[in-house]
Amino acid sequence: MRHDGRPTRGTGAVAATLACLLLASCSAGSTATGSTGKNSLNIGLTAEPANFDFTRTEGAAIPQALLYNVYETLVKLDQSGKIRPQLATSWSLSKDRRTYTFHLVKNATFSNGARFTAEDAKFSIERVTTDWTLVQKTQMDVVDAVRAVSPTELEVTLKRPSNDWLYRMTTRVGAMFSRTGVGKLATEPVGTGPYAVKNWNRGDSITLARRHGYWGRTPHFASVTLKYFKDPTAMNNALLTGTINVIGQMQSPESLYRFQNNSKYKVIEGTTNGEVVLSLNNGSGPMKNRKARQAVRYAIDHKALMDTCWAGRGKLIGSMVPPTDPWYQNLTDLYRYDRDKAKKLLEESGEAGRTLRLRIPTLPYATACGTVVKSQLEQAGFKVKLDQLEFPAAWLTTVFKNADYDMSIIGHVEPRDMQTVFGNEKSYIRYDNPEFRALLAKADQGTREQQITDMRAAARLVSKDAAADWLFLLPNLMVADEDITGLPVNSVSESLDLTGLGRS
Amino acid sequence: MIVRLVQRIGILLASLAVSSVLVFAFMAVLPGDPARVALGTSASDSAVAQLREQFGLDRPLVAQYLHWIHGLLTFDPGNSYISQAPIGPQLADRLQVTLWLVGTGMVIACVLALPMGTLMAVRHRKPSGLVLSALSQVGVAIPAFLAGILLITVFAVGLGWLPANGWTPPVQDPVLFLKQLLMPALSLGIVQAAVLTRYVRSAVLDVLREDYLRTARAKGLRPTRALLRHGLRNAAVPVVTVLALQLATLLVGSVVIERVFVIPGLGSLLLDSVANRDLIVVQDVVMIIAMAVLLVNFLVDLVYLLIDPRLRGGAS
Amino acid sequence: MSAPEREATVASAVPAGRRRRRPVTGSLLVGGLVVAIVIGMALLSFVWTPHDPTLVDPSVRLREPSPDYWFGTDKFGRDVFSQILMGSRTTLFVGFVAVGVAAVVGVPLGIVAGMAPRWFGELLMRGNDLLLAFPALLLAIMFAAVYGAGTLVAMIAIGIASIPHFARLIRGGTLQVMETEYVTAARAAGRGPFAIAVRHVLPNVTSLVIVQASVGFAIAVLAEAALSFLGFGTPPPTPSWGRMLQESQELLSIAPRLAVFPGVAIAVAVLGFNLLGDGLRDRFDPKLEDRR
Repeated sequence: MRHDGRPTRGTGAVAATLACLLLASCSAGSTATGSTGKNSLNIGLTAEPANFDFTRTEGAAIPQALLYNVYETLVKLDQSGKIRPQLATSWSLSKDRRTYTFHLVKNATFSNGARFTAEDAKFSIERVTTDWTLVQKTQMDVVDAVRAVSPTELEVTLKRPSNDWLYRMTTRVGAMFSRTGVGKLATEPVGTGPYAVKNWNRGDSITLARRHGYWGRTPHFASVTLKYFKDPTAMNNALLTGTINVIGQMQSPESLYRFQNNSKYKVIEGTTNGEVVLSLNNGSGPMKNRKARQAVRYAIDHKALMDTCWAGRGKLIGSMVPPTDPWYQNLTDLYRYDRDKAKKLLEESGEAGRTLRLRIPTLPYATACGTVVKSQLEQAGFKVKLDQLEFPAAWLTTVFKNADYDMSIIGHVEPRDMQTVFGNEKSYIRYDNPEFRALLAKADQGTREQQITDMRAAARLVSKDAAADWLFLLPNLMVADEDITGLPVNSVSESLDLTGLGRS
Repeated sequence: MIVRLVQRIGILLASLAVSSVLVFAFMAVLPGDPARVALGTSASDSAVAQLREQFGLDRPLVAQYLHWIHGLLTFDPGNSYISQAPIGPQLADRLQVTLWLVGTGMVIACVLALPMGTLMAVRHRKPSGLVLSALSQVGVAIPAFLAGILLITVFAVGLGWLPANGWTPPVQDPVLFLKQLLMPALSLGIVQAAVLTRYVRSAVLDVLREDYLRTARAKGLRPTRALLRHGLRNAAVPVVTVLALQLATLLVGSVVIERVFVIPGLGSLLLDSVANRDLIVVQDVVMIIAMAVLLVNFLVDLVYLLIDPRLRGGAS
Repeated sequence: MSAPEREATVASAVPAGRRRRRPVTGSLLVGGLVVAIVIGMALLSFVWTPHDPTLVDPSVRLREPSPDYWFGTDKFGRDVFSQILMGSRTTLFVGFVAVGVAAVVGVPLGIVAGMAPRWFGELLMRGNDLLLAFPALLLAIMFAAVYGAGTLVAMIAIGIASIPHFARLIRGGTLQVMETEYVTAARAAGRGPFAIAVRHVLPNVTSLVIVQASVGFAIAVLAEAALSFLGFGTPPPTPSWGRMLQESQELLSIAPRLAVFPGVAIAVAVLGFNLLGDGLRDRFDPKLEDRR
C-alpha cells in the first residue's frame, strides 16, 4: 500500500464501498420501472403526497392518488361530471329535501378484511366534523344526523336543504373509512377500493396493487406505479425513454411538440378544475382599492399571457367557474384587455406610485406567468416587485395563511371552490361581500334551476368586483403511450381515477 | 503517535458537538411552523397546539436538542413531522443511494484524473500536456448539472442507449442499476476529474523538482520510472487532502445531480424536506452531511500520520 | 509539530502551475481578457442593450437569431442577447458578494490566526475547519429556506462557505511572512502587532488574496447557476445566466440555442476567472515561494 499512489485512489472508493457494504442489508429505495409488462402501468405525476392522510394533510396530491382507487365514496363523479353510484347503489331525497337515504352495496370489504356496512359510513361522515382539520371539513357542517337503518341502509338528515352536500360526498370528505382502520392513516390507508397501497418509495413513487376480492368490477391493471417528478423535462424524458407510460399532468406544454405527430404517443387535451388565479389582497394594501384592482384586470392581456406562459393551452374563463360545472358562463368579456383604460383607472385610484408585491410560489406555471404578469402590469404603469416563495411551506405561511402579499398566482385546483376562496372573508383573498355570500347560500338551498341562476350571478359579481383576476384555466394535458385507453378528456374530480384505464 | 491520535479524536468529537448545536440552532430560526404546515392552513389553533405537543415542539429548546441528539445516537431519529413515517430506514435508503452515486463519481474522477494529471505534469512542456491542461480547464468550468443535461439529451433522448433517469437498487436488477448509475456518476465524476487533474498535476510537478528525483534521473532512470518508483507517494499527500475536500463537494453536488436524474437520494430528500418544512428530516440530513465531511477530514488526518513519516514525530 | 506542515502543504496543494521560469503566461492573458469582456458587458448593459431584456412580447416569441435579435428570443419573446448582457451584471454581483464576504471575514481571521500564539491560532483554525463541514451549496439551500430565495442571500451563504479557504490560505502566508527578517526587525524595533499586520503581513499576502478571489469568483458563478437550477438562486425576471439555462430546458430540442448561449457564457466566464487566478498565481508566487 505504501510505495505508490494507491492510497490516494483508495480513500474515497474504499470508504464508499465499505459504507455500501455496511448498508447493503437495508433495502434501498427503488424506482424500478423496468417492468412495463402488460399488466402494469407507470404514470408520471408532479406533486407527491406528503403522507396518505387527507383528513389532516392539505393538498391535492393525496386524493389524486387515493380517491376512487384506494378509498371509495358512496357516490362518485364520472368523467362527464355526473354523480353516479359507487358504494351506494341508489339513493333518494325526501320531500323537504333534507333527508338522503342511501342503499349500500352488500359485499364490499376493506383492505384490512373488515366488512363495509352503514355503520362505517356513519362513522366516516361523523368523523369529518370531529377529527378532520382541513378547511373542507366545514362541508359536512350541514349534516344534522346520520343513522344506520340497517347494514345496507343509511339515512343522512341535513340541517337545511343543500345542493352542494351530495356533490361533496363525491370528494375526499365523502371517503369511506373502516371503523377499525383509521389508526395509521398517514402511512397505512385502509379503504374499500380496487387498489391498495403496496409500496411507497418516498421522494419517488407509490405503487398500488390490485386487491383480491374487490366487490366491484376488477380494473385492468394489476399494478399501477405513480411516479413523481419535480422537473417537467425529466418527466418528458421518462416517457420518451419508456420509463413511464403516461404523463398524468403535463407541466411543460411548450414541449408537447415532442409527442404530437408521433404515432407512438397520444395527446389528450381537455379542461380541469384548476383556475390559475392572480390573487389580489382585497383586505389591505393597494389592492384593497377597487379601481386599482380593476386596473390590474384591464392591464392583463390574457390571450397573450396564456400563449407565452402555457403555450396557448388552457382556456380563458374570466371567473371562478370551469366549463364542466353546470353554471359555467363565458365571462372573459367583463374586463377585456385595454391598456389605456388600465392606465386611466390606476391614475384615478391614486395607487399609482405604490409598489405591488407579487409573491408567487415556486411552481412552473406560477413562475412562467409571474414573469408575464409583471411585464404586462409594468407596461400599464404599475410598479411590481416579484418575490418567489418556496412551495409549499413558505408560500402557504406567508401568502395563504398570513395574507402578507398584494398579488399572487396560484392554481386553485379543488372542484367548485368559489365558496372556499371567495365566500369566506377570512380566506387569503380577504374578499368580504355579504351580497356574494348570500347568493351562494341561496344557491345551495334552492332548486336546481335556482342554483344555476344564483351561481351564475355570484360568479359574475365576484368577477365584476375584480376580487381577483383569472388568468386561465389549466388544461388537462396528458400524454400516453398510444395503446393506453380510458384516459379522461376532462379532469372533473379530485381523483386520478385508475379504474377505467386499460391497454388496447 | 498515540497522543496525536487521541488529540485528533478529541477534535473530531468536539467538532461534531459544535456542528450539531449549529444545525439545531439554525433550524430553530427557520420560519414556518412545522405543525401548521403539517395540518394545513385552515387547521384550528387547538389542533396545531395539540400537534406541536405531539412533536414535542412546545418543550424548551434545550430539551428538544437533547431529544434529537439522543435519537441520532441511538439510531432512532423518530418519525417525520410530515409523512409520519420512521425516518431511520428512509435515511439509510437514501444514504445508500447517494453513496453509490458519490462513490462511483469519485472512482471515475480518480481513474481519469490520476493518469491524466501525471501525464500532464510529465509532459508539461509538450503540446500534448498543454492540450490536456486546456481540456481540464474547460472541464472545471462546466456546471455538473449542465453536463448531466447534455448527457441525457445525447445518450438517452437522442441515441436511446440509456434510461433518461430513475434509480433501481443493485439487488433488484443489477444491469438496470448500472445503466441508470452511469450517466449521473459520469456527470459528477467528469467535472470532479477536471478539478482533481489540476491538483495531481501540480503535486506531481512539485515532486518532479525535488532533489531525490533529480538524482534518480541523473542515475539514468527515465522520468516516468523515477516518478513511479519514488515520487508518487509524496505527491499523494496533497492529493489526498484535495480528495477529502472534494468529497464534500461531491456530496452536495449530488443534490443537483439527483434532481436532474430523478434519483431518490439524500439530496432530493433534503430538497423535499426543506420545501415541506419537515424540519427534523432537514436537520438529520444536514447533520449526516456535516458528519460525513468531518469524519473524512479525520480519516485524512489519520492517513497523514501513516503516509508521511515527517508528520509522525513530535516536532518536524 | 504537524500542523504548520499541513497548512503549508494545503497551501501548496492549490495548483501552482509552472512557478519560476515564466511569470507572464498565456493563462494570465486569456483570463484577463475574458474577465475584461465580462466586466465590459456589464458596464455596457447600464447604457445600452439592443432590447429591454425583461420586456415580454408574445408577438416575437422563439425567434431565430437575426440582425434584429442577435441571439434570437426566448419563449417570452425576450431578447436573448440583451439578457446575456444584463446577466453578466448578475454574474459579477454574485462574484463580488461571495468573494467580498469570504475575504472580509477570512483574511483578518487568517492573519490573526497566523500572528496569534500558536494554541490560539490552532483553535481558530479548528473553528474555521468546522465551516468546511457545511459545503457551499448546502449552506445556500439552508439560507434560502430561512431568508427566502434570492441572489444576495445565496451569495452570502456561498461567501460564508468560502471563508475557511481564505482563512487557511492567508494563515499559511502569514506564518511564512512572520518568519522573515524584516518582521523580526520590526518586532525588535518595538512595532505593535497591528502595525506589523498592516504594514508587513497584509501587503505580502495580498497576492494570495487576489488569486483566491479570482478562483472564488469562478466558484460563485458556478454555484449561482446550480442554485438557479434548483430554484434557490436569482428570482425571475432578473436576467441571470443560471436561470436562463434552467428555463431553456423544456425547449432543449427545438431551441437548443437557448441553452447554448447561457451555457457557453457561464463556462467561458468561469474559465476566464480560473485562468486569471492561475496566471496571477504564477506571477505572484515567486515572492513567497523563495522563502520556502
